[in-house]
Amino acid sequence: MRGEREVAGLRCGQVLEQLSEYLEGELAPEVRGRIEAHVRACDHCARFGGVFSAAVGALRVVLRGSGEQADAHARLDDLLGRLER
Amino acid sequence: MSAEGARAELRSDGLPAVTPSDAQLLERTARGDKSAFGEFVERHRGAVFRFARWCTADAADAEDVLQQTFVSAWRAAGDVRAEHGARPWLLSIARRAAAKARQRHDERRSRESSIEELGEAAGFGDERFTPERIAQATEQRTCIEAALTRLAADEREILVLRDVEGLDGAATAELLGISLAAQKSRLHRARLRWAAELRTCLDQEAQHAR
Repeated sequence: MRGEREVAGLRCGQVLEQLSEYLEGELAPEVRGRIEAHVRACDHCARFGGVFSAAVGALRVVLRGSGEQADAHARLDDLLGRLER
Repeated sequence: MSAEGARAELRSDGLPAVTPSDAQLLERTARGDKSAFGEFVERHRGAVFRFARWCTADAADAEDVLQQTFVSAWRAAGDVRAEHGARPWLLSIARRAAAKARQRHDERRSRESSIEELGEAAGFGDERFTPERIAQATEQRTCIEAALTRLAADEREILVLRDVEGLDGAATAELLGISLAAQKSRLHRARLRWAAELRTCLDQEAQHAR
């Protein structure tokens, strides 16, 4: 990997591998601490960590708004209104 | 004029008598008549693109398939029998080209199979791919959504379950019938793959803007 280095006992590839678990708060405190120590000393991982976190945030924001298609909901309401027992 | 008379003015393939048949256009094409080929392309391009668009699920691939189909048609114009119209023949060419496009996608996926390769595709080490560019993309939405459409179905599925519907890892693993570890791996790979497609889309937009 470009610019791969070992800091705080972790290679960049190992940090990369655990980024989602880091974001989700799923890592043990000791592992989390080593990742944070690596990122503080590694430009590549600091930058990519910021990009990855922003990207996941953007995905959430944009897609959560995509369930609001008025036409589809209006058609569903119409269909439900015509249902009879 | 009676309905019977109107039908009599149509040929067996239903086209008005004044309109040359596909077979006639292909005969003229085989003799090098470019205007005949132009008419043939106009007649079928919409159907070929529509078919390619949904077979490949990718607009850029569909465009390639469209071009390859008519290049093949131009070359093979003298060899095809099109008494009943050329569309099934064209769609069979498009189908083969679409299958090759899908295969290229699958091969690209398997080449990028390691996390390191996925990370690089997603912008690890790329100083131009910044949170600010992602913030701009969020406002426009186009690339955020386009990147998602370029993922495989199981990748889209896990992103929607985790990142949109907010299910936790255990619930997602149970819903998908996979282990928690497999769920973690699939989610992370899907996020990286999506980020890579987002980066590609933003690069393409930047090139078009130049």
